[in-house]
Amino acid sequence: MRFTFRAWLKRWWRALLAYVVLIIPSLVIAVGYVWLVITSFSTRTEGLRSLGWTLQNWRFLWESPFGPRVPSIWQVTLNTLVMSLIMTIIVVGVSSLAGYALARMKFPGRKGFLSLTLILHAFPSVTLLIPIYFVLLWIQKIPVIGNGIPLIGGFGYNTIGGVALVMVAFQLPFGIWVMKGFFDNIPWDMERSALIDGASRFRVWWQIVMPNIKPGIAALSIFSFLTAWNAYLIPLTFTSGRAGRFSVLSLYVQNFISESVMTEWNAVAAVGLFQLIPVVLFFLFTQEALLSIYGGGRKGGV
Amino acid sequence: MQITLEKLCKYFGKVKAVDNLDLEIRDREFVALLGPSGCGKTTTLLMIAGIYRPTSGYIRFNGQVVNHLLPKERNIGMVFQSYALYPHMTVFDNIAYPLKLKRTPRREIQKRVRQVADMMGIGELLDRRPGQLSGGQQQRVAVARALVKEPAILLFDEPLSNLDAKLRLRMRGEIKRLQEDLGVTSVYVTHDQVEAMTMASRIAVMNHGVLQAYGTPEQLYDQPDTIFVAGFIGAPPMNFIPVTLVKKEDGYFLEKGQFSIRLPDDKERLAVANQAPEQVIMGIRPEDVQVLPEGGDLQGEVYVIEPLGREDMVTFRFEGEEIRALVPAPFQGKVGDTIGLKLNREKLHLFHPETQRSLLRRGE
Repeated sequence: MRFTFRAWLKRWWRALLAYVVLIIPSLVIAVGYVWLVITSFSTRTEGLRSLGWTLQNWRFLWESPFGPRVPSIWQVTLNTLVMSLIMTIIVVGVSSLAGYALARMKFPGRKGFLSLTLILHAFPSVTLLIPIYFVLLWIQKIPVIGNGIPLIGGFGYNTIGGVALVMVAFQLPFGIWVMKGFFDNIPWDMERSALIDGASRFRVWWQIVMPNIKPGIAALSIFSFLTAWNAYLIPLTFTSGRAGRFSVLSLYVQNFISESVMTEWNAVAAVGLFQLIPVVLFFLFTQEALLSIYGGGRKGGV
Repeated sequence: MQITLEKLCKYFGKVKAVDNLDLEIRDREFVALLGPSGCGKTTTLLMIAGIYRPTSGYIRFNGQVVNHLLPKERNIGMVFQSYALYPHMTVFDNIAYPLKLKRTPRREIQKRVRQVADMMGIGELLDRRPGQLSGGQQQRVAVARALVKEPAILLFDEPLSNLDAKLRLRMRGEIKRLQEDLGVTSVYVTHDQVEAMTMASRIAVMNHGVLQAYGTPEQLYDQPDTIFVAGFIGAPPMNFIPVTLVKKEDGYFLEKGQFSIRLPDDKERLAVANQAPEQVIMGIRPEDVQVLPEGGDLQGEVYVIEPLGREDMVTFRFEGEEIRALVPAPFQGKVGDTIGLKLNREKLHLFHPETQRSLLRRGE
């Protein structure tokens, strides 16, 4: 018996080791989420133990706990959604075009542009907050574009569009690199063949190349969307904050944390969970596409 | 459509991919561009297709310069080595794509795709996607897509090299037959000399971007102009042996150690006319080397015996050189034996060791 166990161990110790290494940190993270769920439905908690169940913490969903001057959770959710969508659309659109050009075309400054994007990707965005603030203030002074567009406000300071634009700028270097990688994997012959079949260069890009990097487009879309959805620093800096008209979910949590009143940690947990729901759903349905962004995408074949 | 290439050059940076290429392809002709990989043959094809722009020189279709025309304006069909099918489209849509781009009416598209698919024997596969097809089927789809727009020129870029040997043999025949039936001017790029020999009406041999020879398969086989062509065409390749050309009272002799044979009169005249130097390179194809029980022009020691089925290829050593012979199977000898070999004097080739050119070529 002992002998067989030994043999078993000898065969599987590598897998076992991997599981142990993976399970321990996962457990730590999982405990955090379990606490979040329990707390959001409890009046008080003691560790992971609830001292009484309640739905009171989720009150913010159907009433405005901070009075009429603070936008409701639904307004804030809409803001977050719009901001995330704008950012996703622009990032994917620009990255697809720029990535294709960098992967396939020869033009002066191509190499320099490539290394510049790489440097920008590594650039700490915090250092740029103040200059960008001035840029947004300046944009705000432009009529209509600055501050007069419905839904997104505009593209100036304290608007959804403005925040989205800044995040697009920070996300683009990454997006362009990712898309370039996917385009590099498309065989040249497929494009040549389409050119000979009678397509223009733009049509080749749109009808032949783009459909073949759908996993890349999906991955970058999801990645950009989640980045925007979870963004904190940039919305915090470039809007008038948690109580403003253009507040987003990550800022909304702050309403529960103030200096004069006791922080309602249970409500904070509930809002956090609320913000998490779409992310989890997203991951469930798109994890395969998301993985391919680091796997380098599929080969050009089929 | 007649294709003329005039002093065509293509440089990639400092690399000369194609250097001063002159080539004329007649209407309805099937020409093979043959050469080792990296010799510029595919570059030439892509210039004809309009994908690459020539650095200098002209490409003419029926006398008209087409250098500036886009690929889609050239009325060309092309088959790629990788097939280059569109993985996200069905077979039908793949074949129909060139017609859709031409805004052909839908009915007409249906009709013509069916027609060409039936001709290629892929009529049942129209709803599939390329990923669900075998290599041979993908190849047929690629050919069908090239044919559907009834092009004036067909270009093939090593279309058979991804197929297994048996299928390759079959497609070779089919493509040749198809080209004869349709009478479309065709250019076929390959590194496989058997493919070029069997399919093409004329072969252009290229090396390092330079045209080495251009002629019918028979011309290139029987009267190769350079050592490169002689060695590249024919399998197994020609034997090359450095010998000394000696003038004696009764004519010119090729000598090396014990070996000495007299050059036939007609070859002697040509060699003299071409100012043959004293040191020359003699070429003889393995099938022109005969094994004799005794005697012969030279005595070779058996080094390797490679049975090929119908014949055996035997490699002999003599005077520090190797010489291969194709002999009827089974070969009655074993490794280490010394055996007499007789060379067919009528099939001897002589080359200049420096210029690499044939010394038996007729007046320029």
